[in-house]
Amino acid sequence: MSRKLATRMVWVVTIGLSLVACGGAPPPHDALTAAQSGVKGAEVAGATEDPKAQLHLKLASEQIAKAKQLMEDGDNEEAALVVSRAQADADLALAYAQAAKSLKQAKEADEQLGKLKKQLKE
Amino acid sequence: MISIKSSLSFSLVLVMFGCATAPPPPELLDARKAYERASKSLAAQLAPAELDTAQQALAKAEKSYEEEGPEAPTQDLAYVAERKAQIAEVTGAKVAADRDSKLADKQFKDAQLEGLDKTKQELKSEKKARAEAEKKVAAAMASLAEMAKVTEEDRGMVITLSGSVLFKTGKYDLLPIAREKLNEVATALSGSNYKAIVIEGHTDSQGKPSDNDTLSLKRAESVRSYLVSQGMPSDKVSAKGLGSSRSIDDNGTPDGRANNRRVEIIVQPNK
Repeated sequence: MSRKLATRMVWVVTIGLSLVACGGAPPPHDALTAAQSGVKGAEVAGATEDPKAQLHLKLASEQIAKAKQLMEDGDNEEAALVVSRAQADADLALAYAQAAKSLKQAKEADEQLGKLKKQLKE
Repeated sequence: MISIKSSLSFSLVLVMFGCATAPPPPELLDARKAYERASKSLAAQLAPAELDTAQQALAKAEKSYEEEGPEAPTQDLAYVAERKAQIAEVTGAKVAADRDSKLADKQFKDAQLEGLDKTKQELKSEKKARAEAEKKVAAAMASLAEMAKVTEEDRGMVITLSGSVLFKTGKYDLLPIAREKLNEVATALSGSNYKAIVIEGHTDSQGKPSDNDTLSLKRAESVRSYLVSQGMPSDKVSAKGLGSSRSIDDNGTPDGRANNRRVEIIVQPNK
């Protein structure tokens, strides 16, 4: 066995391992679908009406597009990570949208109460 | 052998470099900060499940950082962990707002009920007060009818008070008994709606007509100023002295002359 061969074998093993680590993952179809419906859900909840929710809705959509591209390129592992980011942004957009609604309601309820109390005092 | 050794050590160095010695990525720093904020917010009490999820996500990112180093998937896990922490914080704020809304709604309903009660009470006491006022007016009218002649004529309701009851002969100061009678008149009229009230003074035909005119005017004015002092509107009450020009009985007999000496209060209805 020559030195050259041994050197080659070490490299082959190293590169082979790294290839298995990258290319072996299945495409994250389910996670992608879930993230897409997460975006829809946030939109329905009014995420486009709140600036913070809108920002994360945009991030989620951008990352969904990026994940699709990565899947087409065969980089499923990276795609799965990007999809997980998209899901997190969609969830956050929904939370912001719901909180904005609740805060608005609370403010209105408080104003109504104030008006009534003022009326009763007269 | 040198090249085998060097490639092996190169691989080892790569692996080691990947481990914890490298500084954490900005995503992880952000995630730690976001979790710290969330754990100090309302989420601790109002969104414990979300906060717990955030804690687990951060732990996963920290573990990845220790085992895999600062690159992917640590950055992605930290990115997700930061958002989970933000979700916990904003959910806490949402739950607090919902709680505030509910409380305000309840207070609104309570206040409405209270207001309704108060309105009912006010209406009740208003009605009672009105009924009492009407009763008082009716009673005053009844006693007025006993001491004075009250007739309905074209010129309005005419209350005729005898001159001898109100004044001493030839004078125009009200007698004490006159004040009592006029109080009844004022009470009786306080509840009614009228356009104007005219107070006319009349005398019998004895004496100089000019003296009679003056006396009858002064007497009418005495009655007017007393009624105004009892709260009747001064702009609606006027006084006139007619002397003996409108006798209603025979000036040739003592009884007739007594009837002619009088004060008439004419209440003109509001049309």
